[in-house]
Amino acid sequence: MIEIEQLTKQFGDLRAVDDISLTVPAGEFFVILGPNAAGKTTTIKVMAGLMKPTSGLVRICGFDIGANPIEARRRMAYVPDFPFLYDKLTPAEFFRFTGKLFGMEEVAMEVKSERLAKRFNLGEFLAKPIESLSHGTKQRVAIVSALMHSPEVVVFDEPMVGLDPHHSRVLKDILREQADAGVTVFVSTHQLSVAEEMADRIGIMHKGRLVAVGSHEELQAANRDDTLESIFLSLTNDDQ
Amino acid sequence: MNDAKPIPHWRLLAGVNRIQSWRRLATAVAQSRLHAFLMGLFVLSYALLAYALFHKALQFTSSFPGLGPVLIERMMFLLFAFLFLLLLLSNVIINFTNLFRNKETQFLLALPVPHQVIYRWKVFESGILASWAFLFLIAPLVAAYGTTYNAPWHFYFVTPLFVALFVVLPAILGSWAAIGLARWVDRLAFQVAAVLAVIVLIVFVSSWLQPATVTDEMLETRVLDVVDRLLSRTKFSLFPFLPSYWVSSGITQWVEGALMGTLFFGLVLLSHTLFFGYLASTRTGGFFYGALSSVNSRGSGSSAGWKFWRRKPALGQAPFAPKLLDRLAGLLWWGRADTRALIVKDVRTFLRDASQWGQSLILLGLLIAYIVNLRHFSHRLTSDFWIDLTSYLNLGACALNLATLTTRFVFPQISLEGKRIWIIGMAPLGMRRTLMAKFLFSTAVSMSVTMALVGASCAMLSIPLERILYFTLTVGVMAFTLNALAVGLGAVYPNFREDNPSKIVSGFGGTLCLVLSFLYIIGMLSLMAATSRWAFGGSSAVIFGLGWALFLGGSFLLGWLPLRAGIRKMASVEI
Repeated sequence: MIEIEQLTKQFGDLRAVDDISLTVPAGEFFVILGPNAAGKTTTIKVMAGLMKPTSGLVRICGFDIGANPIEARRRMAYVPDFPFLYDKLTPAEFFRFTGKLFGMEEVAMEVKSERLAKRFNLGEFLAKPIESLSHGTKQRVAIVSALMHSPEVVVFDEPMVGLDPHHSRVLKDILREQADAGVTVFVSTHQLSVAEEMADRIGIMHKGRLVAVGSHEELQAANRDDTLESIFLSLTNDDQ
Repeated sequence: MNDAKPIPHWRLLAGVNRIQSWRRLATAVAQSRLHAFLMGLFVLSYALLAYALFHKALQFTSSFPGLGPVLIERMMFLLFAFLFLLLLLSNVIINFTNLFRNKETQFLLALPVPHQVIYRWKVFESGILASWAFLFLIAPLVAAYGTTYNAPWHFYFVTPLFVALFVVLPAILGSWAAIGLARWVDRLAFQVAAVLAVIVLIVFVSSWLQPATVTDEMLETRVLDVVDRLLSRTKFSLFPFLPSYWVSSGITQWVEGALMGTLFFGLVLLSHTLFFGYLASTRTGGFFYGALSSVNSRGSGSSAGWKFWRRKPALGQAPFAPKLLDRLAGLLWWGRADTRALIVKDVRTFLRDASQWGQSLILLGLLIAYIVNLRHFSHRLTSDFWIDLTSYLNLGACALNLATLTTRFVFPQISLEGKRIWIIGMAPLGMRRTLMAKFLFSTAVSMSVTMALVGASCAMLSIPLERILYFTLTVGVMAFTLNALAVGLGAVYPNFREDNPSKIVSGFGGTLCLVLSFLYIIGMLSLMAATSRWAFGGSSAVIFGLGWALFLGGSFLLGWLPLRAGIRKMASVEI
């Protein structure tokens, strides 16, 4: 479960995140949408504990990320838009490393990484140096390493970038399965189709504010519009 | 869920980074055995040659009865005092990059790894990065010190222990300074502070280096008094609260056989290392996390730090309107527009990176302080020999300084294009002209600065006009060669993966560039001095002409060959 209470993040004069409050319960697939510079990545970085909020707080599974970051992160999987990987390691070695950082047992580490690697077709790359892999393959490695410790909360920033249609499908399926199994899934994306297809609820951010939250149907009803694209455009159009 | 047993994060991080480093080294060796062999040879040659030279110099100095040991002891204190300062500065810069600009740090922060562990690991890593080169450079001197005084065998085991304890202190203090800078000093404040610091440094060094008045009579009758006055400038190295004092005292006393004294200073060093080490490894993680959050918050699109001095565009002025640099570049009417745009981009990138211009400012500041002091120094030079020697050494100092600048700032130019290389690679500008533009621009800038500095320094020494022209032209030719060498080798050995210029320079290409530059300067300086028309006995016009021809030919070849190789490499580079 993710709880965001009156979160504000200020960069000098710029208010990147402006008094956001949101609760994403366990088992919900939540997609956050917004134009560039809407504040999505900043919100996610505060959720991951990479930045302190100017005011407000974020709780992951009941743990305040500011006051108790280790317990919060232990329960969370975070993949940034450009994930860091150790170039000279192989994916298999990288999975072992991250698994150990999360305190996983040897057997669980092997079983889970193998299962996820298989789903993402990483078998042939497991023993190759990460530096030799393509951008999309690296993205798949980062996703597997984030999911293998069975997190209770998944926070992904633009996870589809670099993935081919096949692996985008695999990721969507996995995230749906996770949500169905009770994991809180929080994903930021520019692909409206992902939100339409996958999200239980959708949030739309604009200029640091959460301008709309609800299921696709609720957004349609509230905005008297049919498609998510036209709802998105009308809510984020500065000219209006 | 996860088991509750404690996770040895530190060991995991050490392990994964050890594998990374080992594989990097193995890849470098596998890619070119010749390069690896040359590097090994260079390291070994430096160690042996430096040891031999230091040993000779120390033996010569110790041969002065009464005076020698005093001078050598003071030199050891000075060595460690400056080492402490350099390590501190180096640790501040490397810790800042490693703690706040490093992708691994950001990655680890999103995992259940305590801030304290991340901080501890990064300080350890920075300490090694900041110290190894300095220790490698001074090791032959310390070894030569030991052999000069016939130190017992255990001196060579105890000294590394002392030095190991010593380097921990600047590493920790440097990391605290980096955290303070990150937490409270934004870009603008840092830029203002850096400029002020350099001005203060120039003024301070200029006054500090002013030679004392010493008459011939004093040199004849009161040598010890004169030496005492000269050494009074170095008394700061004897300040007993400096860690360098403890390590120097420990080492010098060990050589003298005063083992109790060594033990005392060893314990002083150990207690401080343990105290600060304890604070750093258990209490600093929280401050680090707060500072990191500040840096992340500051770096994300806020332009607040720039507002103070950035003029607001006038009402109605388009954001694309040419700015000062564009207008200045417009004065280069003979150059093509795309080349001018490339130069403006390079200058802007340089000026907006405080770590880049900050370092060049320090180097330039020290050089200006030195030249300003020649004014005082020249009054004491009464014989032609000393004037000639000083003017050639002066040329050498300027050229060596220039070589440091070209290696540090010009060599990484192509590599710094990094993943953006496709932008210029795909543009009609072409890689050849890109390279030539970078070369011509850096040559023009460094040529004007060094020629002006050498001209000014010669004028300070009050030497005749034709000799001023001679030295100024010589450094001009050297600027051409050193820039061509740096641009050429930078293109032959590019590193497009790395964004940090320090790391680019520390690779094989950068090291080769520095070594070749230094060898070129030493070789050409010796040639020019040996074939000089007037200095050191004077040569005939034929020898003088031959010397110049060799100098020009050698300079042209050493510049042109790497530049041509660089152009060819860039023409075939796969983007």
